[in-house]
Formats: sequence, C-alpha cells, structure tokens
Amino acid sequence: MDWHLLGLSFVTVFISELGDKSQLAAIALSGRGQSVRAVFFGSAAALLLASFLGALAGGAVAEVLPTRLLKAIAAVGFAVLAVRLLFFNNEESLDSEQTP
Amino acid sequence: MKLDSAPVILTGVSASENQPELTASTESRLANAIFEPIQPVASADSQKKQGSPLIVFTTTFITIFLAEIGDKTQLSTLLMSAESHSPWVVFLGSAAALITTSLLGVLLGSWISKQFSPKALDKSAGVMLLFVSAMLFWDVLQG
Repeated sequence: MDWHLLGLSFVTVFISELGDKSQLAAIALSGRGQSVRAVFFGSAAALLLASFLGALAGGAVAEVLPTRLLKAIAAVGFAVLAVRLLFFNNEESLDSEQTP
Repeated sequence: MKLDSAPVILTGVSASENQPELTASTESRLANAIFEPIQPVASADSQKKQGSPLIVFTTTFITIFLAEIGDKTQLSTLLMSAESHSPWVVFLGSAAALITTSLLGVLLGSWISKQFSPKALDKSAGVMLLFVSAMLFWDVLQG
C-alpha cells in the first residue's frame, strides 16, 4: 500500500469537495432533520459510484456520457426540490410545527 | 482401526461445513420474515410526513450522482496521473474523502436543524438548493 499516494489523494479530494455543490446539497437536504441517515447514505453512495466510474473510465467519462445533459438534469432536479421547499410546503411545515 | 476412524473425521467435517450454511439460510429467511411486515407500516407512516427514507435516499442519490458524474474531471486527471502507479489507492483515498465530506455535511445539516424553526429551515434549505442548481446551470453554460 502506497500510503503517501493514499494520503495525497484523500487530501486533494477532501479539499476540492469541501464546500462544493454536493456537500451544500447534503447540508440542505439533511437540514430538515428528517431521515438524516438516508441523506448520508444517498450522497455517499452517489459520490462513491461517480468516482468509481471515473476510476474505471479514467478520462473517457466525458466522451462516453452526455455529462452536460446529465448536469442540466441534476440542476433541474435541485431546482424542483428547492421550489417544492419554498412554495409548496406550507401545510407540511405547519404540520411539523404542531407536532412538537 | 484406521479405516474406521477416517469416516468419523469426514462426517465430522461435513457436518461442521453444513452447519454454517444452514444457519445462514435460516437467518436470511428470518430477516425476510422480519422485514416484510415492517415495510408496509413504514410506508404508511411516512405518507403523513414528507418523504419516506427510501424516497429521500433515492432523490439524494440521483441528484448528487447526476451532478457529480459530469464533475469528475479533476478526479479523473488525478487518476490518470496516478495510473502508472496504482489507481485503486487513489480511488480508496478519494472514496474516504468523499464519505468524510458527506458525513460532515450531514452532521452540519442535522446540527443546523436543531437550531432554527422548521419554517426558517425550509426557506434556507430551498435557497441553498436553488444556489446549487444555479451553480450547476452555470457549469453547463460554461461547457
């Protein structure tokens, strides 16, 4: 095991992902206090699979997959989640205020 | 004497080999039997709240996966630079880093959720997700 390379890749990825989109999304999605574990496993699994595919395909990911289209779909997905939280959540937030 | 003792040892081995298999299969049957009645209860319960854990997991997984799969250029260059040595070590390191960052994010999120009212949380989470969406759209437009 090349511990130097392991530590180097850990530090590089850790710093580049700290405060990045996916971590902000994880904070926002878990910030509602419900099913925090599901958010953690979902985000960790997605990140692991994405980096695993990156490791398998190396630089070929961008050629094999329509990454811009996938990113656009993800952007629309986050926008839908945001709009649902901001505008269509009045009854549910009332509900969760009444329960405690 | 030697001929007699040999089958005894053989049967002893085969019996001990069979036992773990049997217990494993009964365990899995037990697990199925336990899990099957729970699932309908959980889904019925969560219809009142917003989103069962499974739905939360799926939406989180799909959105973050789609956002990150196109975003791994830095990682792939890192991997390509290390390809001559050992890409698996690089993958292990980055996997540990990704698990740590998502754990930190979730811990921060759940800590924040205890500090503010649900309404303020919904608003700030919505604004954050809009921000993430805008960052992604910006990436798409930049090419």
